[in-house]
Amino acid sequence: MSQRSFELPVLGRPTPVDHPKAAREFNADVARTDWHDESLWFVREKRDRAAASVPEWEELRARASAIKEHALTHLDEYLVQFEANALANGMQVHWARDADEHNRIVHGILSEAGARRLVKSKSMLTEECGLNPYLEANGIEVIDSDLGERIVQLRREGPSHIVMPAIHLKKEEVGATFHEHLGTPEGLSEPNALAGVAREHLREKFLAADATLTGMNFAVAESGGFVVCTNEGNADLGMALAPVHIASVGIEKVIPRVEDLAVFLRLLARSATGQAVTVYTTHVHGPRAGQALHVVLVDNGRTKQLAREEFWGSLKCIRCGACMNTCPIYRRSGGHSYGSTVPGPIGSVLTPGLDLERYASLPFASTLCGSCTAVCPVKIDLDRQLFRWRQHVTEAGHTPRAKTFAIKTSVALFDRPRLFRAAGALARFGLRLMPGFIARMASGPWGRTRDVPPAPSQSFRAWYRTNRPERP
Amino acid sequence: MTTALFVPCYVDQFFPHVAIAALTVLERLGVRVDVPEGAACCGQPSANAGYAREGHSTLERFVDVYAQYDRVVVLSGSCAVHVRQHAGEVVAHGGADEAGARVAERTTELCAFLHDEIGVQRVAELGASFRKRVAVHIGCHALRGMGLARPSELQVRPFDKVRALLGAVRGVEIAELARPDECCGFGGTFAVAEPDISAKMGRDRLRDYRGHDAQAVVSTDVSCLMHLSGLARRERIGLPMYHVAELLAGTAGVA
Amino acid sequence: MSELGARETILHAVRAARPPAVSLPAPRIAPALASGQPSLLDAFAAAAMAAGAAVVIAARDEVSRLALGADLTPRNVLSTVAEVRTTVPPSQDPHALDSLDLFVADSPLGVAENGAVWVATSDVMHRAALFLATRVVIVVDAATIVPTLHDAYARIDVRAHPFGAFVAGPSKTADIEQSLVIGAHGPKELTVIVIGTNGESGAQQASRR
Repeated sequence: MSQRSFELPVLGRPTPVDHPKAAREFNADVARTDWHDESLWFVREKRDRAAASVPEWEELRARASAIKEHALTHLDEYLVQFEANALANGMQVHWARDADEHNRIVHGILSEAGARRLVKSKSMLTEECGLNPYLEANGIEVIDSDLGERIVQLRREGPSHIVMPAIHLKKEEVGATFHEHLGTPEGLSEPNALAGVAREHLREKFLAADATLTGMNFAVAESGGFVVCTNEGNADLGMALAPVHIASVGIEKVIPRVEDLAVFLRLLARSATGQAVTVYTTHVHGPRAGQALHVVLVDNGRTKQLAREEFWGSLKCIRCGACMNTCPIYRRSGGHSYGSTVPGPIGSVLTPGLDLERYASLPFASTLCGSCTAVCPVKIDLDRQLFRWRQHVTEAGHTPRAKTFAIKTSVALFDRPRLFRAAGALARFGLRLMPGFIARMASGPWGRTRDVPPAPSQSFRAWYRTNRPERP
Repeated sequence: MTTALFVPCYVDQFFPHVAIAALTVLERLGVRVDVPEGAACCGQPSANAGYAREGHSTLERFVDVYAQYDRVVVLSGSCAVHVRQHAGEVVAHGGADEAGARVAERTTELCAFLHDEIGVQRVAELGASFRKRVAVHIGCHALRGMGLARPSELQVRPFDKVRALLGAVRGVEIAELARPDECCGFGGTFAVAEPDISAKMGRDRLRDYRGHDAQAVVSTDVSCLMHLSGLARRERIGLPMYHVAELLAGTAGVA
Repeated sequence: MSELGARETILHAVRAARPPAVSLPAPRIAPALASGQPSLLDAFAAAAMAAGAAVVIAARDEVSRLALGADLTPRNVLSTVAEVRTTVPPSQDPHALDSLDLFVADSPLGVAENGAVWVATSDVMHRAALFLATRVVIVVDAATIVPTLHDAYARIDVRAHPFGAFVAGPSKTADIEQSLVIGAHGPKELTVIVIGTNGESGAQQASRR
């Protein structure tokens, strides 16, 4: 669940993601960091207001979590049921073990249909599989129709947020991209005007499409259908016009019954953007007359995650993005700093399972404040999973040796009270002697931005011995 | 009922005045408190750094030292939560298997203890006063782990035990902040592993406090204060910072 | 690698991996609507307007006038309601509806908590029109407005048609620096005409432009 859409496969080990370095670069522009942080905080506040308007909000979260846990612990049954009902509805169903197989299946469907122009609506799964570069290398024109996705596609970047792909861009930057690729006047940055140009541009693409590919927000086992939620209507324009519709989905997205949709849909948009519901909540239960509808069920590491006792709960995710909006680290480092398809807290618990060495820094890109866990509509214990991934990272030896040494030294100190007291006294004594600037330098990354605390002459323990001699 | 006070390592070494204030408050409230020797640390720093296994010996020591007490009051939200969540995983030396679980269940944080088991009314009888406008920072673990207040994400009836305790201090005015419970950015090893974001988060808190005319910052966690005051001093922002215990003991702002 | 192999491989992997069973939660008991709450119609109208829709409460004989609007010059219209005439030539190709100005349809149900109306069809032209038209008008009966999505799913049959959607407001996007733009790729305007029953408490004409 990791590959960036424009990464080519490399021989040998890819470089580990250095989140702290990416964060440092991001924070170099303080004003821009503030802007990014405020934009996402605003979305968090909208979520709060929407959640407050549903009196049974916490009950809904508990139900959603339980339904997902039930579905995941019976996943094979629901996949089989979904397939049977989907086939009965006139869909074709394919299975893909990994990203590569998914891409080949999609390409195969397109080739057989003679399709060369594909219009896509948002699918993080296809991002994860690297579908776009694969198809483009095979001569297929791929157009991402979600406006945010289209913008980053033109800029040859990946999305920085799973719901708001272009949240990291200012309107002037979008204007510059449109000027370069869509011929808008230089300097035009007004959003309505830009969106209007995109509307015309994409309308042409919808009308000319040979095929469309969508994701699924939910696949319903009981009815053999699926749900696609959008605000723009882009998925629907694709589905209503193209003669071939491919719907790709991760196997963890299957839910048991139609009635369960109510629970998830009441939580999804409110958690994601603060809307009561997205403009379009489309239910597909069969191909359009004269259309071929293909479903591709994808594993690509999900069964591995399902087998992880500590981490399978992360598969409950309904991709709302609320954890990103609330994360103080995500807001101040941006989605690209995670180097993974899905960033933020959920990305940091989904991705390390794919390549622990490469993504070793992600579980540490957190203060474990727990805000993500508190907003998650399906109650994934994100902060606990981040903590547990940290143990795996160090056990596998992916921590810098200096850090391991420092921790082992401090543990040795704590286990020997007299030694600890002596070391503490020495440190305080040293600090009292040292002029401020030396103390600053001596305290490394702490000291770059912060002063060390003033050093008292006496520890509490020493005071206690003197002032409460009779007490244990 | 026997009660022990656990003073975390960094408080013992660098902020003894906070521990003295906490002890003073407990004693004045008639709580007979032991401060046993032998356990300097609860093991949280190692565990959060990914070395839970290495930190186990530290936590075992903690369980050994505190197993005999009916109540363990911890002068830190993050340490208290760590003990509550993980002490059950260790076995005390020479003790019964459930000693760890027992210690976990009997461990609490100071403000939670004062609010839930002493009660705001008795705390008010201390007669503390502090005539300033304060920004309150409840440490994230104290907030979401100990349940010291309703976290802003949760849709439950609002409550705030820290605010209630501060209500027992005459003259305290509480500043309403733009982001009442955003993390300060300390996060233990996060402060040195991700120093840029850590500093940015802390600065943003300071800006929120100053933007709402706070004259002082009061927190449940000295670790948060260490981080925030370190930033404030480096940037020459004069914003005094205190632990809740210092206000209750009447030692805030006094040498 | 054959695809049959993929299906069996994946199902086998799932069976080996799945954690111990968790049961489905017990059926939900819907909370009683507190007294003093706004009526379903008022809640629906407020939510639909918050989503950017125009909402008008009217009688059936006003539908034509309201749907066509002040400008009565002939335009490209596709309608599934008796009161409004279709002007576009018949076709089975949805691409022909690219310059559709107005689509008018009936809806069997509205949802008060989010201002959405349910629109379902097997007709390829109607489905395309819902998204290609510049303006969309949906007619719904006030008596069919239900409180929440739970109630909605209890009443609709999602399998009755290959396509069905909850529609709340005109298409929109905030993808350019979080600025709200109404009329993203789909319709720029959505009007919901609620056919009101007599004696609805407090129901007034609630329209917004």
